[in-house]
Amino acid sequence: MSSSIGILLALSLAAAPAAGSRAAPAQGKLKLKPGASGQVCLECHSDFQKLLQKKFVHTPVRAKDCTGCHSPHASEHGKLLAAEGGEVCLSCHSVTPAAAKSTHKPVAENRCRECHDPHASDAQFNLVKAGNDLCGKCHAGIVTAAKDAKFKHRPVVSSGCTACHEVHGSAKGATLLKADVPGLCTSCHKVDRPIFAQQHGGYAVGTARCTSCHDPHGSNARSMLRNNVHPPVAGGQCSKCHEPPGSPNKFKPRQAGMALCRGCHNQVVNAMLDKSRVHRAVTEGDSCLNCHTPHASSEPKLVKANLVAVCGACHGATIARQARSETPHAPMKDGRCAKCHDPHSSSSALMFNAKDSVELCGRCHDWQKHSTHPVGAKYKDPRNRNLTLECVSCHRAHGTEFKHLIPYATTTALCTKCHEQFRR
Amino acid sequence: MSNATKLLALAAAALGPVLVRAEPVVFTYTEAVYIDSKEGPLRSPEGVACDDRGALVVADTGNSRLVTYAVREDGVGAGTELKVPQLVAPVRVQLDPQGGTVVLDRKGSRLLRFDAKGAYVGAVEPKGDLPGTFAPVAFKLDADRNVWALDGAGRVVVLDPAGAVTRTLALPKGVFTDLAVDAAGTVYAVDAGQAMVWSAAKGATAFTSLSKSLKDEMSFPAYLVVAKGKLLIVDQVGHGVVVLGTDGSFQGRQLSYGVSEGLLQYPGQLCLTEKGDVFVADRNNNRVDRYTIAR
Repeated sequence: MSSSIGILLALSLAAAPAAGSRAAPAQGKLKLKPGASGQVCLECHSDFQKLLQKKFVHTPVRAKDCTGCHSPHASEHGKLLAAEGGEVCLSCHSVTPAAAKSTHKPVAENRCRECHDPHASDAQFNLVKAGNDLCGKCHAGIVTAAKDAKFKHRPVVSSGCTACHEVHGSAKGATLLKADVPGLCTSCHKVDRPIFAQQHGGYAVGTARCTSCHDPHGSNARSMLRNNVHPPVAGGQCSKCHEPPGSPNKFKPRQAGMALCRGCHNQVVNAMLDKSRVHRAVTEGDSCLNCHTPHASSEPKLVKANLVAVCGACHGATIARQARSETPHAPMKDGRCAKCHDPHSSSSALMFNAKDSVELCGRCHDWQKHSTHPVGAKYKDPRNRNLTLECVSCHRAHGTEFKHLIPYATTTALCTKCHEQFRR
Repeated sequence: MSNATKLLALAAAALGPVLVRAEPVVFTYTEAVYIDSKEGPLRSPEGVACDDRGALVVADTGNSRLVTYAVREDGVGAGTELKVPQLVAPVRVQLDPQGGTVVLDRKGSRLLRFDAKGAYVGAVEPKGDLPGTFAPVAFKLDADRNVWALDGAGRVVVLDPAGAVTRTLALPKGVFTDLAVDAAGTVYAVDAGQAMVWSAAKGATAFTSLSKSLKDEMSFPAYLVVAKGKLLIVDQVGHGVVVLGTDGSFQGRQLSYGVSEGLLQYPGQLCLTEKGDVFVADRNNNRVDRYTIAR
């Protein structure tokens, strides 16, 4: 053994008891009162006696070791915590798998207290609420829809969200799923039974992604199909779009891209292609399927997802601008992009579904009743001889970093762009 | 020389090269073009082309026409309308070295050729083996009059002046809005979705990323031009022009949102001359803005 290794070993042996019983020597040295690590705290924080009566009490609280998480004198973190937020929890709890495919957002952001009460709770695992009610705090739309669904998914009712989802992180699936789809589904639903093929029109869909048609949380449509079902799917007419089930290329669409959709939607397609500005998503790539799903969707008109996500796939900067905006514009915030834009085609430069912004904005805003500022075709914009005054002369509908969707920090700055005589 | 002057001179000497590096191209507003010779206003112009002989052609998209102007020392002259039934929604325009014009019409995604006198010659149709549908969404002409088209089918297609397909190059997955080709034959393409520029050297069989995602610098890059050793990119939703080095490095940003002259609203195409004149099709301001980058 070299001398340096010997010194290191001696040092580590000397340090070991101190690390194992941190409080004992300190108590002597600092002349701490008995129970200084927690019992003493209760003399002032008497409300904690009530917490100790709860059904589930966090181990350090039960052991009256407040200093396990809090610094008794001062701290750079709120509530005298020894570290910031959930970092304190991580000193004892390791909750996410090493190679997680998905991690719950509050976990990734160390916001443990969103779900757990660090002291005590009547719910297991010190959860702030029990069962699906807890998940519903953030995922209200899904939890409510599942509760109200006409056709319920049994595991959601009997075991709650955790029947299929991990709570902290998953090494096996996206969106915290305990396994990937369809593996997770086929662990209960046997795909080799004749009834399975019969229910799917004779097509062998055992390896397909079940959730592209079915809503795993429950639905108001038969067979728990997503709420908006493409009529051929609802009618079991799969071969209207696909090769027959017995053919070698049974899943292949009968025609490629828009040509297939034209079979039923010819007039709609012709009308959209007739306009001078056709959205590139309509004609390029997967054509209609760039934005629509062919079987069933939770969104109206078989759109793949909320329009914030669908439109944001290409127009991310516009969506991001809205997110930063001081004044959110309701249609955009709610993903109703089609309220103002025609997603297929238009004759207007900004794909408006109205003649101009005066007509468009007037559908929701009764500006005529509260504004006397002239707008419309009769009024020239004094800054530009080729523009007339419209709502977008002063407002930017996707938001700005200033209030009221105006592009300048103050109303004065905006108004004096035209009314220069009042500029200071 | 006083101490203060010495200090200023020292600071200028030290900071001068830094400032030049950070702002290599500076746009200075000169004038705006609003009308044709009959006082007819431009409406949503998306395209503009210019050359060193003083020609300026505007794709006046909202009026379904081209307007040609002569650029003189004392300003842009009166505009002459060129209107044919084949022009419905002209959005991009390029002048070829022989004085002809090629126009991309968004309606039907067609490239239309006009001769030096403005007479319609015909549509540019690819000849030869080209699988799928040819639906150009952007294009450029090189010095040899070859057409470099960004095809909606996710590829770059190169056509010789007779229309024969001489090369195709698959684009990476993305929302590609424009391409440009430099004198060495390197082709650049811009993906608006990721705000990234890709490039392929002459003879390369695939594109490689030139820049990282520049989402912090650009909102929706819609037009690209290689000039003076730089890439000038029109940021349509960001209402400005972004300058990159040909290595993809961010070198600055020019112009900003507004209605007054010298400001932009959803700009489309940009062109520039050897002299340093820059014209921008200022779509939502219904005009073409002229700047100079000459120092």
